[in-house]
Amino acid sequence: MKNIGSLLIGVFVLLVIITSSAYTVDQREYALVFRLGEIVSVKRDPGLYFKMPMVENIRYYDKRILTLNWEEPDRFITSEKKNVLVDSFVKWRIIDPSKYYVSVRGDEVQAERRLSQMVNDGLRAEFGKRTIHDVVSGERSEIMEILRQRADKESRQMGIQILDVRLRRVDLPKEVSESVYQRMEAERKSVANELRSQGAAAAEKIRADADRQREVIIAEAYRDAQKVKGEGDAKASEVYAQAFGKNPEFYAFYRSQEAYKNSFKSKSDVMVIDQSSDFFKYMRSSGKK
Amino acid sequence: MRKFPGFWNKNNEGPPDLDEVFKDLNQKLNRLFGGKGGSGAPRGTSPAPQPLPVAPILGIVALIWLGSGFYIVDQGSRGVVLRFGQHVETTMPGPRWHLPFPIESIENVNLEQVRTIEMGYRSFEGETARSKELRESLMLTDDENIIDLQVAVQYNLKSVEDYQFSNRSTEESVRGVAETAIREIVGKSKMDFVLYEGRDDVAARAKKLMQDMLDRYKSGINVVNVTMQNAQPPEQVQAAFDDAVKAKQDLERQKNEGQAYANDVIPKARGTASRLTEEAAGYKLRVENEAKGNADRFEQVLTQYNKAPEVTRQRLYLDAQEHVLSNTSKVLVDQKGSNSLLYLPLDKLMTISGAPGNAATAPAATTEKPAQEPQADSSTLDRSRDAMRTRDREYR
Repeated sequence: MKNIGSLLIGVFVLLVIITSSAYTVDQREYALVFRLGEIVSVKRDPGLYFKMPMVENIRYYDKRILTLNWEEPDRFITSEKKNVLVDSFVKWRIIDPSKYYVSVRGDEVQAERRLSQMVNDGLRAEFGKRTIHDVVSGERSEIMEILRQRADKESRQMGIQILDVRLRRVDLPKEVSESVYQRMEAERKSVANELRSQGAAAAEKIRADADRQREVIIAEAYRDAQKVKGEGDAKASEVYAQAFGKNPEFYAFYRSQEAYKNSFKSKSDVMVIDQSSDFFKYMRSSGKK
Repeated sequence: MRKFPGFWNKNNEGPPDLDEVFKDLNQKLNRLFGGKGGSGAPRGTSPAPQPLPVAPILGIVALIWLGSGFYIVDQGSRGVVLRFGQHVETTMPGPRWHLPFPIESIENVNLEQVRTIEMGYRSFEGETARSKELRESLMLTDDENIIDLQVAVQYNLKSVEDYQFSNRSTEESVRGVAETAIREIVGKSKMDFVLYEGRDDVAARAKKLMQDMLDRYKSGINVVNVTMQNAQPPEQVQAAFDDAVKAKQDLERQKNEGQAYANDVIPKARGTASRLTEEAAGYKLRVENEAKGNADRFEQVLTQYNKAPEVTRQRLYLDAQEHVLSNTSKVLVDQKGSNSLLYLPLDKLMTISGAPGNAATAPAATTEKPAQEPQADSSTLDRSRDAMRTRDREYR
């Protein structure tokens, strides 16, 4: 009984000593060892460590990359005195935990406040030198790099490294957006109008061209047709001349008879005939001489 | 981390062996503590029941403790083993064992699952509807226009260690990175490029930029895909944009209408042209043949005339006169009578006999020009005679 009791007590005491002196440092953490308020060592590597119980205490700081986000986008003024709303984030990391502890009491909220002030200052300066266009497209990467370098330089004193400053959103305030929309609308309208009148012009051109082609085709055909007809007429004249030339006097007589027949063949042709006409020669007398 | 639930059941198959182990352990412990305590004699002789529970309890505790080291890594996941907070091993899928708490701990990380970030919209599980996030989706382009973009980013992990150890709230930073990357690319592109021809290009460049940034942060994340879900002008100007698109269609339509007109007119003109050509050819042949025919006929008559000129001449004259007079209205006047007193109501005569005559000539007038020509040139007697006969019939 006694043995077991002493065994349990021994184990218990051992456990108490171990738990109060052993500590682990995670892969993701730094550990600061304070001895009575004074930093005695910085544990950067993960693993199992021991400390003096009661006298030494430990604080842990994140080794990972942290993100500083703004809750609301901030208003900045560009060189052409226009407002833009900027939302950005900062990637930062504690690289020197003891400096970090000294400068911001190891308080992340305080560290972020200091960082955001630094970055905001930088943003204000850089935006003030540039137009919206530069900020949005032209020099976006440059601005981010300048801001990163500036902030990094200042933050080193806090034991902080700035990996990246990123402009997430660069937007126009609502009032300005409205006028942008109006401009976009007007632009589209002009594009639409242009397209429509282009269409009308193109259609008219095609039509006119078609009309021209029609005229040309018909005119050419007419020209050729007349030529062919002329050839026919010429040939006919030749034939007639040849035939009728054999006895022109008889042709005149013969053709006249034909012409009479053809000219007077309707009852509406009223003939007032004198009896002395040759035709009535026998009407007047028997013709017997 | 999952415990291996079947462990105890499976290993309790041989209880006698375990008992022996406990007994053995028990005795050893007794000896050990007995020696320390200094009162070993009474314990060895009398088999007191007290020492028995200590060893089995310790044994069971030890086994439970060891058993708590079992865990299963799911397919597609990796187990990250930390020994006193230090990363020592990354284990593959399957049942595994680690040194139990507090020495080692396990973090299970899903490596292969493809995760999605939605930008500019949120879709809901099991629903097709999606809600817009205007704050995210509206962005400025290079030409200071605003467009409305919805983008989905798919990613998985390429390094479990980086993912676990390099960044705090990695998931959240993927979103931030995606947003800056897309806005940066869009900010450097013209609106029409983003909206129309350059959508894939924007997505590809955003993907590359994202991957660069994520690699710089050692996030262990692999961007699988950046897809443009929707790229539109903002709602406020949508109507104007639609109208511009319509105008483009109108342009095409108008062109097509013009072309349709051309396609109508030109073939018709070709038709007219070939009509003219054909008609001319026909006219030529007709005129020539008529001439030949007329000439032939005349020559025949001439031959006969030469044989008996007087008689033939007289006959022809009388034939013609007869024909003429038989077909016309006649007024025979005796010249010797009082010529000046003669009154002829010519206009009445014309109206009486004119009406049917007009009707008879009407069809000839309406026929086309080429058809008229034989009539004007009508030396073809047969034809004119036929015409006479039909007219005669009409009068009766």
